[in-house]
Amino acid sequence: MIHSWKTYLAAASLALGGALLPAHAAETVKVGVLHSLSGTMAISETSLRDVLLFTFDEINAKGGVLGKKIEAVVVDGASDWPLFAEKAKQLLEQDKVAATFGCWTSVSRKSVLPVFEKNNGLLFYPVQYEGEELSKNIFYTAEAVNQQATPGVDYLLKDLGKKKFYLLGSDYVYPRTTNLVLKEYLASKGVPAANIKEKYTPFGHTDYQQIVSEIKQFAASGDAAVVSTLNGDTNVPFFREYANAGLKAEDVPVISFSVSEDEFRGLPTKDLVGQLGAWSYFQSVESPANTAFKKAFFAWLEKTSVPGIEKKGRVTNSPMVLSYVGVYLWKAAVEKAGSFDVAKVTAALESGVSFNGPGGKVTFQKNHHLTKNVYVGETLPNGQFKILKSFEQVYGEPFLKGTFGKK
Amino acid sequence: MRRCLPLFLLLLAGVTGLTGANGVPPGRAALVAALLAEPDAQPAALRALVGVEDEAILPVLTAWKQGEVFLYTGADGVRIPFRLDTAPDDQGRFAALAVADGRRLLDAEGRPLSLEATALKPIDTDGAIRRAMRDVTELAALVAPDVATRVAAADRLGQGLKPEHRPLLEKRLQVESSPAVRRALHVALALFDLASGEPARQLAAAAVLEEKDSLAGATQLKTLIDQAASQPNTVDSAVVARAKSAVYSIETHYQVVNFVGTLFRGLSLGSVLLIMALGLAITFGLMGVINMSHGELMVVGAYATYLVQDLFILWFGKSGTAFSWYFVAALPAAFLGAAAMGLILERCVIRFLYRRPLESLLATWGVSLILQQLFRLTFGAANVQILSPDFLMGSVTIRDVTLAYNRIFVIGFAIAVVVALVLLLTRTSLGLTIRAVTQNRTMAACMGVRTDRVNMLTFAFGSGLAGLAGACLTQLGNVGPGLGQTHIVDNFMVVVSGGVGNLFGTVLAALGIGAFDQVLQPWLGAVMGKVVVLIAIILFLQWKPGGLFPSRSRNLD
Repeated sequence: MIHSWKTYLAAASLALGGALLPAHAAETVKVGVLHSLSGTMAISETSLRDVLLFTFDEINAKGGVLGKKIEAVVVDGASDWPLFAEKAKQLLEQDKVAATFGCWTSVSRKSVLPVFEKNNGLLFYPVQYEGEELSKNIFYTAEAVNQQATPGVDYLLKDLGKKKFYLLGSDYVYPRTTNLVLKEYLASKGVPAANIKEKYTPFGHTDYQQIVSEIKQFAASGDAAVVSTLNGDTNVPFFREYANAGLKAEDVPVISFSVSEDEFRGLPTKDLVGQLGAWSYFQSVESPANTAFKKAFFAWLEKTSVPGIEKKGRVTNSPMVLSYVGVYLWKAAVEKAGSFDVAKVTAALESGVSFNGPGGKVTFQKNHHLTKNVYVGETLPNGQFKILKSFEQVYGEPFLKGTFGKK
Repeated sequence: MRRCLPLFLLLLAGVTGLTGANGVPPGRAALVAALLAEPDAQPAALRALVGVEDEAILPVLTAWKQGEVFLYTGADGVRIPFRLDTAPDDQGRFAALAVADGRRLLDAEGRPLSLEATALKPIDTDGAIRRAMRDVTELAALVAPDVATRVAAADRLGQGLKPEHRPLLEKRLQVESSPAVRRALHVALALFDLASGEPARQLAAAAVLEEKDSLAGATQLKTLIDQAASQPNTVDSAVVARAKSAVYSIETHYQVVNFVGTLFRGLSLGSVLLIMALGLAITFGLMGVINMSHGELMVVGAYATYLVQDLFILWFGKSGTAFSWYFVAALPAAFLGAAAMGLILERCVIRFLYRRPLESLLATWGVSLILQQLFRLTFGAANVQILSPDFLMGSVTIRDVTLAYNRIFVIGFAIAVVVALVLLLTRTSLGLTIRAVTQNRTMAACMGVRTDRVNMLTFAFGSGLAGLAGACLTQLGNVGPGLGQTHIVDNFMVVVSGGVGNLFGTVLAALGIGAFDQVLQPWLGAVMGKVVVLIAIILFLQWKPGGLFPSRSRNLD
């Protein structure tokens, strides 16, 4: 069954390639899209495939890149990490793509990293991650820890006056590394170790009774907050249990770093009203660029004929927008370099191209990360965020471990 | 929340009758003023409501917080905050009712205004506004009719330690009759005393906190002890000694609370495991079919619940008591849906494989993949939203042990299903033939039992139980195409360690694994806890390969 699904996808991507292919085949440039379209990560990653296809269409309609139309090569990583590496190899060696946009989980990125380095490819990675990595072949449009977690915790400390922190995460590299950095950060802000608790649960964990009862006792003093790096699915049982235990956002707020507008489509939002989130983009950002982006994207969804795209109840979120700005930044760099050559494009990207994206202005830094705006928001009953605080033009810093104590 | 509205309207009618046609009561006037203020000024405007006694304040603020208060701008530019009536009219529109007097708003031509709920933009709130609301509602909540609300209010006021609140707490204590609220008020006042710095009051406060086993009190006492250690002369030494013994006593109390809580949580997790495993105990345990698509049959039940919920939303709307009953209707739907799917599966695949367990393992695994993709194509890859009915939300606290309603329900449901199952197997003729066929198929056939038919029904019944488990899981976690995969391993684990073919063993194994897991979790964390449980089960099966109660049925040889 997995096999037949993949064949189906391959056929679909071929058909798509065919549809995008104009009369003069030489006038196109191939670009890879490497996301999971099946398996557990499909929930989140298909949205990124959709927004990438939209971006390519938008650019093609305006004349393409350096006069060439973008031809998307869509492959399915199938939530299978070794398969990601295989597909990356196929994109680079067989299809000879000029750039690839893809990956969601850190482990998928880590598994394709050697492939991109060996073949000297170019990967744009759009999802918030733990940092501590810098490859010459990867450009991270993603939020680094200091563009999401530390501003979020800052908000809890300064604006809400919280003194105790319960760090709760899924058990894998992103939450563990982020919490490591957060603990150092909190210590540097004078929070004693006794006021910080750290707990992890396995992927797909469904039983949060014990943890919620622990949080309830931890928060009995009234000045505690939960910092959650639980990923996707596990948020539903957690927030259900949380609401049932009588814990409320006004008393014990939860700030989540892995729940965006897209995840709310499957969450009981009533249980989440008032809980916090921190991202570099919210759908509710009010700017002309965002209005235009949302209008164009939803219009494209209406009329697209690509098979398997959900049309109803769609939203936009940070990883989608970071995918979108990634394509535009690549385009800007290609045009600046006047070539699709990876070395030249890399040099152009490192020289600091910028783009006025839906979440505000973004600029590539020498260290392959973006300077961008960061927003802290709280959940509304309709599954959107209301922006409470914004941090303008935060410099993306991937290496934070051990930097806070030294001041 | 809309359920409060009729009550609110009734109150309004009464109050307007008292104050006359023009007079809007002070609370409501201030509410309207706060609603109309600029967002920055709203917190201050709200605080003006502190201490105002008007029963309309609580429902309106709650509605505002939930995004159910809107703004109407009349032709003359006057802005009027309003809420929607509870039930829609025949065109699906709602009557607009002014917050100030509960009267129906009129449009420019003087006709009653009816609006579509989806087209409206509610009056926003943010953290600052909601904190101001909380200040108001806390004090309002101190006189609320509901006991739990009053307790929560007293708790929060005690933690806030705002001097202006102390007289209000004392005033309330004089008239309060509920023991739970009195306890909370005593604790709150003791916290005030503890912060006063006067040794005599601090000593008394420590005694009160110890007697009432206050966890918030323990935190404050510890702060005091720490303070005494770092700045020796600021705290009286008698107070420190008293504080230490109080902390010890409170912590001992919470050890007991946690123990009882863990038992309850273990029972509830065990019940979840049990409900999930019962279907498998029939199809795998009694019939010997290794059905890898059992998890997907649970998903059928979960999606059936989702569909029933959507039908109820279509018929009755999202709020209202009728909607809450969707879950009751969903249970038979889930059972029948999964049973039908099981029937098809048995007829098309499994009946050809009764004597070939390995092939049935592969074939049903294939079926499970097909079903998963089918769910994905029908319902989308994303999880679907399932709202809990009102009676399954919230919790009750007994002597500091929190028992969530949905967990209590699951425990009760598990007991009911087990009892029903035992009755079916031992008291009905179908049960008799099921036992006959599973124990010795050939002999049963010789006695005139239509074994083929019995197999079909038994498998459908086991599948139906899986459907019920799916319906139950919708109240605990998420519903998506991958739901079955998450639980299938747990299912087999329970049935195998209980002893294949033995229902009683399944019950014991489920409860045992549940309790073991919950006991380990606080020590080892969720991840290591799970690992240790798995290792323990492996060791247990090494020791007793047949599980708790090895079956000696012939068809399993």
